[in-house]
Amino acid sequence: MSVVSRPGVARLLSHRAGVAGAAVLVAAGVLAALAPLFISDETLDVTRVTAAAWQGPGADHWLGTDHAGRSVALLMAQGAGTSLLVGLSAAVLAVGIGTLVGVLSGHFGGWLAGALLRVTDFFLVLPALVLAIALSTVLPRGLGTIVLAIGLTSWPSTARMVRAQTLAIEARPFVERARALGGGHAHVIGRHVLPSVVPLVLVNTTLAVASAIVAESTLAFLGLGDPTRISWGALLHQAQLHGAVPQRAWWYLLPPGLAIVAVVLAFTLVGRALEAVVTPKR
Amino acid sequence: MLELKNLTVHYGHKRVVHDVDLTLAPGQTLGLAGESGSGKSTLAMSVLRLLPKTARVDGEILLDGEDVRTMAWGRLRAVRWASASVVFQGAMHSLNPVHRVGDQIAEPIRLHGTTGSVADLLDQVELPGDKARAYPHELSGGQKQRVMIAMALACGPRLVIADEPTTALDVVVQAQVLAVLQRLVAEQDLGLLMISHDLSVLAETCDDLAVMQAGEIVERGRTREVIANPRHPHTAALTAAFPVIGDPAHRWADPRPTPPPLLQVRDLRVNYGRTRAVDGVDLTVGHGEIVALVGQSGSGKTTLARTIMGLRTPSSGRVIFDGSEVPRGGRALKAVRRQVQLVLQDPSSALNPRHRVFDAVAEALRVHGLREDEEALVTAAVERAELRPASLYLDALPHELSGGQQQRVVIAGALVLGPRLLVADEPVASLDASVRGEIVALLLRLRTELGLASLIITHDLGLAWQIADRVAVMHQGKIVEQGSVEEVLLTPSHDYTRALVRAVPRV
Amino acid sequence: MRLAGRFGGAALSLLMVAVLGFFLFRVVPGDPVVSMTRGRPSTEALQAELRAQFGLDRPLHEQFWSYLTSLLHGDLGTSFTFRRPVAEVILERLGPTLLLVGTSTLIAVLLGLWLGVRAAWRRDSAFDRVTTGVSLTLWAVPTFWLGMLLMVVTGDLFPSRGMRDTDTAPDFVSQALDVGHHLVLPSITLVAVVCAEYVLVMRSSLLQEMHAPYLTTARAKGLRDDLVRTRHAVPNAVLPAITLVFLRFGLVVAGAITTETVFSWPGLGLLFYDALTGPDYFLLQGLLVVTAGAVVVMNLLADLLHGVLDPRVRVG
Repeated sequence: MSVVSRPGVARLLSHRAGVAGAAVLVAAGVLAALAPLFISDETLDVTRVTAAAWQGPGADHWLGTDHAGRSVALLMAQGAGTSLLVGLSAAVLAVGIGTLVGVLSGHFGGWLAGALLRVTDFFLVLPALVLAIALSTVLPRGLGTIVLAIGLTSWPSTARMVRAQTLAIEARPFVERARALGGGHAHVIGRHVLPSVVPLVLVNTTLAVASAIVAESTLAFLGLGDPTRISWGALLHQAQLHGAVPQRAWWYLLPPGLAIVAVVLAFTLVGRALEAVVTPKR
Repeated sequence: MLELKNLTVHYGHKRVVHDVDLTLAPGQTLGLAGESGSGKSTLAMSVLRLLPKTARVDGEILLDGEDVRTMAWGRLRAVRWASASVVFQGAMHSLNPVHRVGDQIAEPIRLHGTTGSVADLLDQVELPGDKARAYPHELSGGQKQRVMIAMALACGPRLVIADEPTTALDVVVQAQVLAVLQRLVAEQDLGLLMISHDLSVLAETCDDLAVMQAGEIVERGRTREVIANPRHPHTAALTAAFPVIGDPAHRWADPRPTPPPLLQVRDLRVNYGRTRAVDGVDLTVGHGEIVALVGQSGSGKTTLARTIMGLRTPSSGRVIFDGSEVPRGGRALKAVRRQVQLVLQDPSSALNPRHRVFDAVAEALRVHGLREDEEALVTAAVERAELRPASLYLDALPHELSGGQQQRVVIAGALVLGPRLLVADEPVASLDASVRGEIVALLLRLRTELGLASLIITHDLGLAWQIADRVAVMHQGKIVEQGSVEEVLLTPSHDYTRALVRAVPRV
Repeated sequence: MRLAGRFGGAALSLLMVAVLGFFLFRVVPGDPVVSMTRGRPSTEALQAELRAQFGLDRPLHEQFWSYLTSLLHGDLGTSFTFRRPVAEVILERLGPTLLLVGTSTLIAVLLGLWLGVRAAWRRDSAFDRVTTGVSLTLWAVPTFWLGMLLMVVTGDLFPSRGMRDTDTAPDFVSQALDVGHHLVLPSITLVAVVCAEYVLVMRSSLLQEMHAPYLTTARAKGLRDDLVRTRHAVPNAVLPAITLVFLRFGLVVAGAITTETVFSWPGLGLLFYDALTGPDYFLLQGLLVVTAGAVVVMNLLADLLHGVLDPRVRVG
């Protein structure tokens, strides 16, 4: 069974903002995939660059240079991969945990559901970013840590939503009918609950990527990113550290921020368009 | 007072009301009957121009000679509620949950600057004055509907439009609310336009009757005459759907001797926390017998059915099927479940909207691991449920089918395992009147052809009269009376049964 | 009954916050001393001394017990970098944060709810499209970047570092004006991001109520459209929105950390950032317990407030 039927795709295309968002995402994806092909390590090696620092945009460097004379345009291209990768992996991790917790606490009653709900609500109100910062401080720096820190702290909203959907489905008479037929947990979850949760999970993942990318940029800005990799957030960290603000180096500040806004907004728009398609209108 | 001329309403390209002419004089009571989707509610809402912006209204709506369609907004607001008011269906949602009901009744009085006091209005609908301080959720369904009536009368209108005012109320409460409404209409010489799918409700309250089908008025006249001698086939179908208790023509089940027991319930008790939902029930359903379990909502009849199905664990007592006790779980319970099948009230929600007919019917086979001959068995079951030829329906999704077809799919899903007992929870309550008869006939035919026994849970005494061999009346968790249909419904011995029978509106 | 349950739940949450703080900073890192002295000259002897000083040489359960008991006495341990009690350091920085967060939340809530209501009521109007579009975009903007941009754009119009100048006259009016002047950019930053969220929450909350049958009742009574909105729709829609606003108080906390970092606003957020660079685990632990505890308490308040405002909850 397909998740989104063909009329669903047609309706999706009718959401212009969603289509625009998808286009931005494809562009960002292509840029991230191609970046390693045309950027060699030397061009971004601080010790080997020859250009002057803090150059404004010009013919040689069309987005100018940073504090060490590296091309901002190339740094941007290089950073796209990390930002997207972290965003996607963290979102998949978060939504995965959230779906599991949500379905389990929605389907099974008793103390297990009570305990899971308690924990979900607890983490739901806690400031996720503070927890993510704490996690990335105590764990060794690296890409995996960032993914873990964001993924482990942003699952509760998905869990809440999936639980609500699971409860709604389980309250429907067709599930009671399935139980009366003798269907067990596996049957009810597999045939009735999961198929109705999947579209929601899809929407949630898309929206979760958006917030995960913002979270990654924030962690990187606070200096908690992977020191061996360039990401858009890490660029802004560097910019702040080396005084791009007093330098008025707008060409160094604008591109990473705009890129983050564009990609996050794109994911959000696609997510909202998907949401409009999968939630049945009453 | 109210005059509709060539009224036509479109939603986009869909025509919902077509060329309706209607007049209502002061003091006249007019019932508007029709099934869901017949356009009766749209017609009612158009009188005060309450339709959503997407609706296109043509024709004339004259309220005291003025066309509502062309009124300026200010004039329209002045007319609303002061000239004509509405008793909406579903008081639950039509009252604002965060305001006290007294304030909600007083709101139009202040707005239109009319005289009237909340206490008087509450008194008129037989509610104590201190209920004014209550919030809607603190009132019962019947009380909320009384508040709606009090609110409708707040500004002394000459026309009241009542849109399904008693739907979703229990029979006894419905009778009380109707009595209040009738008395007030007579006392204050109001014009009443009452909309309902239930002919018997209209027959009780209205002198004149108009029947709507697919946006058009197909028949009108004095209520008694229309119901006694329906000229249009749709009116005939509607009248047939409301069986008259005691009328042999409406008794479809043929008399038969009492068969040996198939299902026996012995001294069953079910607790929900501290409340006892089922309290020492004894009940028997014989081989091929149809038993109606009758009761109001909250009487425990649904819990009893769920417990028989093994979906709830009884606190004490026994359920015996075909001579052996139904186990509480495991393989043995699953084996019993092959023989006892559930049919639920609302077919549109009893089918997973994502599953095609084939999958919905085959679900039982899959749960029981009967993979062989799946297609043949499903086809046979679907045809048994009189969806012929089955191939036309197997690939359909539930929303592509009508309510009656959906209920047939649910029944097919129950038949596919070759059960011996159906437990049917309000099997026709959410079906349109004209479809209802077909499903009742199908259940009877399955009994004749397959020897299938049924336990039918219903609040509808007419249905029991139509289909059942025996009736059990449930009240507050106990069976207060049981016996043959004639005994229980024609010569009830328990007070509660008598109250129930008396509350049924007479056509 | 319900009240007792709420308080019990909040108490349990606070206990879980404490456990989480201990787990994160004492159990996960293995040996905190090694991490904290990383990149600094230190010897085995020095580390052993530190361990003894902070009680890290004792078994874990003993550490937990003494951590919990001192927490109950308001003792959050000693800061590694400041060499002072953590509670004292935090208390010092509380004022500026309360000023920034309080001002911004107040503005954001009022503005956000007002814009959200207007946008939802005129759904798909130009106003709605612009409001929703701007909110979605602002929601996508990283707080810190917005702050940096504001600094670059406004130039010398507003001070961009700290909370007051050293050369301001000591009288109250001058001091207040100076602080207000410093407050402009940080609060705009915080308001912009937080408000966007509130607009979206309020808008969707009201949209859900838009088709409620009781609104038809209100219209049928002859109420003007704006009265239908303010008397009937908004009171119903605002309740869930307010709960959500409180629920997402964590968002404000997160925003405060980055905003204070960018503008060197001398509050808890900047302290958080300074503690990261150590890293000063004991200070971080204290900050986590305090902020998370504050969020739990805010939630309890939201719950109680909801109970007072919503008649359906009040009785049930």
